[in-house]
Amino acid sequence: MKKLPFFILVAAIAAVLAVGLAACGGGSGSTSPTTSEGGGGGAESEGKEGGTLKGAYTSFPDYMDPQISYTAEGWTAMRPVYIPLITYKHASGEEGAEIIPGLAKELPKVTNGGKTYTLFLRSGLKYSNGEPIKAGDFKYAVERCFLTNSGGSPFYTDIVGAEQFAKTKKGGISGIKVNEKTGEIVINLVKPRGTFNNELALMFVAPIPQKTPAEDQSAHPIPASGPYMITKSQPGSGWEYERNPYWAKDNGKQMPEIPSGHVNKIEIQILRNQSTQVNEIESGQLNWIFDPPPTDRYQEVKEKFEGTQFREEPTISTYYFWMNMKTEPFSNQKVREAVNYAIDPAALERIYTGQIKGTQQILPPGMPGYQKFELFPHNMKKAKELIAESGIKDKEITVWTDSESPNNDAGTYYAGVLKELGFNVELKILNPDNYFTVIGNTSTPNLDTGFSDWFEDYPHPNDFFDILLNGESIQSTNNQNFSQTNIPPLNEKISKLAGEQLGPQQEKEYAGLDKEFMEKAVWAPYGTRTLSLFVSENINLETAIWNPTFETELTSLEFKE
Amino acid sequence: MPPEFDNPGTGAPVPTGAGAPEAGLGLEADGTRIIAADGGDGRQGAGPWTIAWRRLRRDKMALFALTVFLLIVACCLLAPVWANHVAHTGPNTTHTLEKLHEGSETKEVVEPSGKAIGPQFFAAGGRFFLGADGHLGRDEMVRLLYGGRASLFIGITAAVITTILAVVLGLLAGYYGGWADAIISRALDVIWSFPVVLLGIALGIALAVGGLQIGPIHLKSSSLWIPTLIIGFVTTPYMARPLRGEVLGLREKEFIEAAVAQGASAWRIMFVELLPNMVSTIIVFFTLNIANNMLLEATLSFLGAGVQPPNSSWGTMISEGFEALYSQPILTIIPGTAILLTVLSVNVFGDGLRDALDPKSKVRYEARAGTTAAEPEGV
Repeated sequence: MKKLPFFILVAAIAAVLAVGLAACGGGSGSTSPTTSEGGGGGAESEGKEGGTLKGAYTSFPDYMDPQISYTAEGWTAMRPVYIPLITYKHASGEEGAEIIPGLAKELPKVTNGGKTYTLFLRSGLKYSNGEPIKAGDFKYAVERCFLTNSGGSPFYTDIVGAEQFAKTKKGGISGIKVNEKTGEIVINLVKPRGTFNNELALMFVAPIPQKTPAEDQSAHPIPASGPYMITKSQPGSGWEYERNPYWAKDNGKQMPEIPSGHVNKIEIQILRNQSTQVNEIESGQLNWIFDPPPTDRYQEVKEKFEGTQFREEPTISTYYFWMNMKTEPFSNQKVREAVNYAIDPAALERIYTGQIKGTQQILPPGMPGYQKFELFPHNMKKAKELIAESGIKDKEITVWTDSESPNNDAGTYYAGVLKELGFNVELKILNPDNYFTVIGNTSTPNLDTGFSDWFEDYPHPNDFFDILLNGESIQSTNNQNFSQTNIPPLNEKISKLAGEQLGPQQEKEYAGLDKEFMEKAVWAPYGTRTLSLFVSENINLETAIWNPTFETELTSLEFKE
Repeated sequence: MPPEFDNPGTGAPVPTGAGAPEAGLGLEADGTRIIAADGGDGRQGAGPWTIAWRRLRRDKMALFALTVFLLIVACCLLAPVWANHVAHTGPNTTHTLEKLHEGSETKEVVEPSGKAIGPQFFAAGGRFFLGADGHLGRDEMVRLLYGGRASLFIGITAAVITTILAVVLGLLAGYYGGWADAIISRALDVIWSFPVVLLGIALGIALAVGGLQIGPIHLKSSSLWIPTLIIGFVTTPYMARPLRGEVLGLREKEFIEAAVAQGASAWRIMFVELLPNMVSTIIVFFTLNIANNMLLEATLSFLGAGVQPPNSSWGTMISEGFEALYSQPILTIIPGTAILLTVLSVNVFGDGLRDALDPKSKVRYEARAGTTAAEPEGV
């Protein structure tokens, strides 16, 4: 047997000691071996009911509260817990964009020239605490969106009385009438809104008990209306689900299109180290992970497990750098154009190890209205000329990003690009748990520019304009219009198109809107993301559903026989 | 080779170790100063500093450690030379899409899979000597050298801050006693009651968003002064408390009584009479504090509360390398080894220095372990 060379031995010991010293007290913990009841690792694709599914997220969702959460993390987690009046079908691909009745008996009846929506709540529905679900709970859910300054509240400002309620937070929203006896819910809009069905199907307006406080309930799970209830939630460390006892008895019988789920319990832990997540999936300690494998292991996992435990999933998303148009230097269009020319999507594709495809526009491929164009092909020389023309020199700017890999590297790359353009750059890398909360608070100092991404809420191009770029959507907290874009003629176009049903003409107009915004270089978009589903050997990959809006359908995960 | 005599007066070696007569720098156990070791022939012997130097000179391990440390410092100070004349790149310059030409061979600095180029040593004329650092393709060697500057700056400057604060607070508390002692000691207890790493993380994260405003001075969150001040502040009690104990012992000695009797002011007694007699302890503490500060900096940076990216320090490099621990462990091994060598060399030298300056002292700096440092004998 060969001996280990001495210097390698010393180096290895040194590294182990140093890592141990540096990481002492922190880092990600490891999990104890699971005792998944459903384990077994059979090769058959037939699934079995029951068992405890163990999953992991890299960071805790922004909120574990249906009215406030506005991230894929939160929506995936709460999808099996809170059901809106109407909802998206639990299916993959285009079928997953189909709207079906949820707590309502049927889809809304639209009258009054598109300004009145009438629905009927199913009777005999109950929350997981045994309380009946009432029509007024929907009204309260909409009001709670405004009371909590939810990032989703702009979707509902066209309801009569909503704008007034948003200002006063008193007196209720007069445009929503409910009849508790019949379960009738009538929603009156100020003007027609072509996307309103899509917006009614979002988690923001999922009915909840009216006694729920109008503040973040992430640590105090709200009673469930769906097949699972959250029994324990500890922000920062994880949460657990059990079956909702009233689902099988009452709710589930009335909503056969909504799957009841296969496992009895789900336990989600926050595991910061994505490489550990991969190891634990491989060893069977975890059954499912929300985030894709880390970039340095992505290719390895793909080669080893594609088709058996791993599947790539295209998304309808845009990754971009926002630039605060309200303040210098990004109030200057030449500077924004320069940034777009300076960023090289090819470099970012490399940083994301091929998990993004380079693009320089707001609408991503796959979204109705998408028409490819490239206004700013990478050209550093031109970028520097534009900066010189702008007359802005040595300006201090802060670049924001989160610490999740490779977003942190993307932010570092971006900071380097800005430095090359002549700015004095300070890079702030925040924990992903609170990144969007911090940059969504307009009073946070030095919100100059930074990383963001956007995954579709629903398959309608308005989703990429109304919340993200309409000046009327800017909020003091939970703001999503990070670039604080407010161009009145384009605001009007967004509002006009929002009132129309989506058709070929509207798609053409949205494509034009995309180009108009990019001609003003409001963002520096750089790619659209490919995500992935990675499960343990004993989970049935074939039956796992990836919804274009809610990503992994937890109710579709089952253990193999 | 002629025999080497430790005591030039007599030719007899100075006895050391337990039970040996006190030969510490500056002060005997009874408070009298060592001025000379007179052999009785009227010739004046060596002074305490000379004796200490002779002891240190005999400690080959300590001298070796000092050499290693000075070598590391020299390398780090030469970082700009390496960056500008050998690697031709800065510590934060990215090379994601660059290709490296080595003879007829062309290598990508970052492969499409995200894997960065490994150590090239001198194959590419010194570029990417230790490889690149991940998806961004930054030169690992350049970052290591600049990171070392940051780590050493923080370690040494924080030790200076700690020493100044600890000496002043220790002197005030120990000399005045009473209310002054009660207030200072309780304040130190409050800081001491927090685990040092947790307190550092809390302060580091709180200051990571808005930076630090001290009067008209604003420190950016990316400033190296923020982790320096945090570390200097949180480690102060671990030095101030033992120094206070030493002052409590010294102020009862005759030479202080004599100074008081001569009408010396309190400031003069503290800084002219007491302080010189604490120098050996302070030097030992200072040295060991540097090593502990470097470890604390690495810990805070690893956890995101120390040096802020894209600036490099050995702690941030371990943190960044940790993301690629599976595919490129060398990115963690390199800064880890640098920390290990530096801390080990400072600690070994510090121990040697302590033995040379005051062999009877039981002073140990054990802040990291959270244990109380034993106070010097006689307190």
